[in-house]
Amino acid sequence: MRGTGRPVIERTRMGEYGANGDTGEGAGAPGQVAMVFDLNKCMGCQTCSVACKVLWTREEGEDHQWWMSVNTQPGLGTPKGWEEMGGGWLDGQPVPGHQPGRAEFGGGWDFNYQEVFYGGTGSSTHLRPIDHGDGNTRWGMNWDEDQGGGEYPNSYYFYLPRLCNHCTHPVCVSACPSGAMYKRHEDGVVLRDESACQGARFCMEACPYKKIYFNYARNVAQHCIMCFPRLEAGVAPACARQCPGRLVFVGSADDDESPIHKLVHQWEVALPLHPEFGTGPNIFYVPPLSPSRLHEDLSIDEETPRIPPEYLESLFGPKVHAALDTMRRELARVRAGGQSELLDTLIVYHWNDLFGRYTTDPATLDRSPGRVPVRFGRSPSTPTTS
Amino acid sequence: MSVGSLTAPEVGEEALDPDAGAWDAIPSEGVPLVPVPIEAQLNAYVRAAWTGRDYGRSGPVELALARHGDRLLARLSWDGSAVPPGEFTDAAGLLFPREPGTAPPVTMGTHAEPVTLWQWRDRLASQQGLPSARHLVSTGPGVFRPVPAGGEVSARSSRAGSRWSVVLAGPVEALATGSVGVAVWAGANAERAGIGAVCATWVEVAP
Repeated sequence: MRGTGRPVIERTRMGEYGANGDTGEGAGAPGQVAMVFDLNKCMGCQTCSVACKVLWTREEGEDHQWWMSVNTQPGLGTPKGWEEMGGGWLDGQPVPGHQPGRAEFGGGWDFNYQEVFYGGTGSSTHLRPIDHGDGNTRWGMNWDEDQGGGEYPNSYYFYLPRLCNHCTHPVCVSACPSGAMYKRHEDGVVLRDESACQGARFCMEACPYKKIYFNYARNVAQHCIMCFPRLEAGVAPACARQCPGRLVFVGSADDDESPIHKLVHQWEVALPLHPEFGTGPNIFYVPPLSPSRLHEDLSIDEETPRIPPEYLESLFGPKVHAALDTMRRELARVRAGGQSELLDTLIVYHWNDLFGRYTTDPATLDRSPGRVPVRFGRSPSTPTTS
Repeated sequence: MSVGSLTAPEVGEEALDPDAGAWDAIPSEGVPLVPVPIEAQLNAYVRAAWTGRDYGRSGPVELALARHGDRLLARLSWDGSAVPPGEFTDAAGLLFPREPGTAPPVTMGTHAEPVTLWQWRDRLASQQGLPSARHLVSTGPGVFRPVPAGGEVSARSSRAGSRWSVVLAGPVEALATGSVGVAVWAGANAERAGIGAVCATWVEVAP
């Protein structure tokens, strides 16, 4: 695919830190942008994934890239088995990791359109991905959708949207030898100067969340940029704004009045994914509640949730139990006729309440020729090849 | 390292081809390489990931130099990866000090003493819109940046079995100090950036 005309992302003119050799220690941004995903509301529709895909990864070499993706849990996710690939920090030292290859991400397939539509065998040939022998057709961004875990009648699954965590201690920035990666002071967004990236891919090894992709056509690594040009224009990231479930909060965790601050710090119901990776993610998740398990005679076991708490602990750390307890307590309060600010916040009665100061409607921005409503490091008129 | 026999005679354009007969008449020297020291790697991740791993065993590189007008041509020949390339490709580079007295090239330059790097990488030319060689400045192991308006660097390569022959061509001014260095990255061993093999001392070129 080619032709969206997205400029190469170069170093922005905003302040930054995290040059080569930076250990990431003490790298907290004063206005760190954070997001909270309420997993109780995620229905796995992939609208966030597609919104991101359409906006950012339609160029050559980006076919297999899904900066935003939703996977079914429990599952191997994308890249396949990413949770076991290493990376991150341990006791202040970077942990060597595995660089996921093209086959482990899978996807970005070519299909046999010619054969089906023009080969004269359309009635007997099925549309299928073409196997180029590189393993790409044996996995994909949502390969194990809805498989989940458990055994009937207690099988279970839930959806986990994932993107770059724009970590407070970004080990990818530390691992970049060319100094192409950096973390902006203003909002803590982790970016890469694509014109400086040399394609060494140490960032991909070091990132424990494996949300960095490699563009083999352009020899640069790429990852979610948290829609920074939209943020600069006061617009929420596309994944958040397009979410039909209204489950994605955007804002600063440092703003005492923001829903994100309350969910993360006040009620402590929003937790980072795999906190043991040590990078300080700024993407948080409200863990999923689940119905009660069933006994073999199909009577209800009121004391045991369908999703094993130990599994949720393996994802979100030991604080997940207190978070679930808090939500159950608030639910009980409302069921008893009471009020709950926490539940009111999670319900989101007003759409714009999700987005903090990023409530600008992108349709209202001046898009006239010669006007650049969002800021890139390079003029949009500049060719996209480096 | 002084290699008195290494000169850069004038040649025709055909010498851009690494298999051209013109190279048969030009003296060459075997340049031994050593691993870029792990202690010299500038970031903690690379040190953590590569300490105790074997790398930088490529070489020696047979090096010959020539001139074609205002272009310096360098032919490098060495035994590369015998196995099919995976994520990373074989690569080679020429290092040039920018000032006389620059520290040895074993660290690929330093922040205080940057060096010029002409780098060829296998398969790069087949990728979308990418040249086969790049003109870079290096300020340490793997700390490479493109040189704005640094003059075009081109490369042509050939392979016989596992043996690569590459001709890198660029502005002759790069050889102003009379010194040159060589680096090789073994793609099959995932060598890239500061993980590779480099000559420990500058190779002096006879005027």
